[in-house]
Amino acid sequence: MKILTIGLNNVRRLLRERSNVFFVFVFPMLLILVIGASFGGSFEPRIGLIPAAGALGDALTDDLIDIDDVDVVLYVSRDELVDGIQRGRLNAGVVVPHDYDTTLLGGGRASVEFVTGPDQLGQQLRSTVQAAVARQSTVVLAARLLADGGFADQAESLELAQEAAATVAGVTVAVESAGEATFGDIGRFDLGAPQQLVLFVFLTSLAGSAALIQTRRWGVSRRMLATPTSAREVLLGEVLGRFGVAMVQGVFIMLGSLVVFGVDWGDPWAAAALLVAFSIVGAAGGMLLGSVLDNDEQGGSFGVFAGLGLAAIGGAMVPIEVFPETMQTVARFTPHAWAIEGFSDLIRHDGGFSDVIPELGILLLFGIGLLAVASVLFRRKLTT
Amino acid sequence: MIRASLLIAAKDVRQRIRDRSAIMLGLVAPLGLAFIFSLIIPDFGGGDFVVRVAVVDEDGGLVSQAFTDQVLGPFADEGLLEISDAGSRDETLGLVADGGLDATYVIPAGFSSDVLAGLPAEIRVTGNVDAQIATEVAAAIAAEFTGTLTGAQLAAQASGADVGLLALQAAQAARPVVLSEAEAASKVLDATTFFSAGMAIFFLFFTVQFGVASLLEERIEGTMPRLLAAPIPPISIVGGKAIASLAVGVIAMAVLTVASAVFIGADWGHPIGVAVLIAASVLAALGIMAVIATLAKTPEQSSNWQTIVAVVLGMLGGTFFPVSQGPEALADISLLTPHAWFMRGLGELHAGGGPTSVAVPVAAILAFAAVTVGIAGLRVNRMVRL
Repeated sequence: MKILTIGLNNVRRLLRERSNVFFVFVFPMLLILVIGASFGGSFEPRIGLIPAAGALGDALTDDLIDIDDVDVVLYVSRDELVDGIQRGRLNAGVVVPHDYDTTLLGGGRASVEFVTGPDQLGQQLRSTVQAAVARQSTVVLAARLLADGGFADQAESLELAQEAAATVAGVTVAVESAGEATFGDIGRFDLGAPQQLVLFVFLTSLAGSAALIQTRRWGVSRRMLATPTSAREVLLGEVLGRFGVAMVQGVFIMLGSLVVFGVDWGDPWAAAALLVAFSIVGAAGGMLLGSVLDNDEQGGSFGVFAGLGLAAIGGAMVPIEVFPETMQTVARFTPHAWAIEGFSDLIRHDGGFSDVIPELGILLLFGIGLLAVASVLFRRKLTT
Repeated sequence: MIRASLLIAAKDVRQRIRDRSAIMLGLVAPLGLAFIFSLIIPDFGGGDFVVRVAVVDEDGGLVSQAFTDQVLGPFADEGLLEISDAGSRDETLGLVADGGLDATYVIPAGFSSDVLAGLPAEIRVTGNVDAQIATEVAAAIAAEFTGTLTGAQLAAQASGADVGLLALQAAQAARPVVLSEAEAASKVLDATTFFSAGMAIFFLFFTVQFGVASLLEERIEGTMPRLLAAPIPPISIVGGKAIASLAVGVIAMAVLTVASAVFIGADWGHPIGVAVLIAASVLAALGIMAVIATLAKTPEQSSNWQTIVAVVLGMLGGTFFPVSQGPEALADISLLTPHAWFMRGLGELHAGGGPTSVAVPVAAILAFAAVTVGIAGLRVNRMVRL
């Protein structure tokens, strides 16, 4: 009973502060929104195109616009196109020379300019553009073969080749993919929501160490001990308080993202179990930090740094799948990585409770380990 | 008057440096986080790009031979392709699915005879689902080849001549349309520089927040009446606070710039351009934080509001992730923050621009500074009282 009272008071203390309400409830949802809007969903690379007039030029433009999964934006000025690429708004640009038609009809070689930044996406787009250009090239090539072979004159040959192109299926390349996609087919916010959940639950818990330090420094703990309340009860009450805060925030982010952004958290019991386990780790982390440090301002600022740093290492900012290999191993030492893995088992792979048992076990180990250390330190600080 | 301001500023700066949590937020956190980010973000920029492929040639005819030897061979010599020996079709496809190969070409039996008879034919490219770029490259190489073959088939259809002969001519003929490449100097920062700069400007707002806000503290702690009793005009007190904030902000940014360049290899660009951007940003950060402080009643309130504003501006300004590459609307909103202009200015320098290239970003940041410092200046006198 006493434990519950101490715990509830801790939660109440946090919620009474209006700026805490912002960081606990509003900001996480805002981040899920902004990140989901920026990077979620099906990403379509953007190509800027400066087209050329004429029948062949139009045909090339049509071919480029028809490329799947690429957003083609038309430009007039080369400077604007280059600027778009330099600032990252465009992934690449295609400049068709204005004399494209006359060059090709006159038997010359038309050079289509492909402008790119130095990233790998540019290389991919180069390939798709190259394929479109090759299709164009084919008909002109056929026309030239006809003209060179004396089968038709210059003017006729292109027409003949185009006619043939309508009936001949030709030799083609079929592309398909194999294997299981790392990120699979997931909703726009499905990747970011679990990341933000673990980031903020842990960050709030660590920053909450400041409240624990204040409780000690202001003599609240000593006064509690002066009443018929054991050190064990004080300790458990404080743990319960941190845990309560973590759960309140976690449940809010889960339900909020479900309702507002339609994030599918998968099996609800398994997701709830992961949240409970991770909240225990968060509570334990906050207790440890609050027992080690003696200055609440330090607790706040160190908590924010450690909260953000561990989140980054644990894959809560950038997906762990894209880390270099050594950092993937390092990430295994953070609770974040295990929680996110558990959530992605549920969200991305439609897993059930039994699939997240390993993650739950490891999270509980983290929690128990941290709690054990924290309670020894906390008791010592409480009684001296 | 100025002497008094400097004295107050010196005292405040000493106080800040002694406060360990200030060092934590001003230096350790931004540098530490930038370092962590630089470790976890793979740099896509450099490195040799090699596509690992295999060719399952079930046809074994003239045309498929030509593809392997004359088309893929030169790319392998160039180093773009790494061609492995292929086993059976299923084995090779399994290898692609596991990620052991990026992609494989399958040339079905009867390919050569179909091509030469003018019939439809197909080269299949199967790529690993996570190796999209490599798959596209592999497919584009094949498409170049099949394009030539199709050209020959078209000409054969129109003329009645032999496909094989035309194909040989086509292979030797110059391609009518070629793709030439131009690389635009990137104004997008590399990962290490992006996070070093992003974290530095993000935490700058926390570093300078104490300045005007400490007037509230002086009042609560009872030191304000003593300052007012001293033979100095009130403006010296405000001036001292502002100077202290500016000094700490500039010092923190300078240390962060040099440290991130030396320890984690951030590439900030032309030093004068960087210095001007930093000076303007420190002013803007000071102004924005000061306006909020003048609106608050207690030091706690001020610090809470400042934190919220700093975090929201930082997020929208693209200091944690590159908002400028997101949707157009978001990129436009981000320009309402000095953070975004700071990052944009660094982008200009990154592309090799000199100090003049940052003129527009600096002007934008100074506009933020002018407006906010002006408002704060009008309101601040109300804080210098008993």
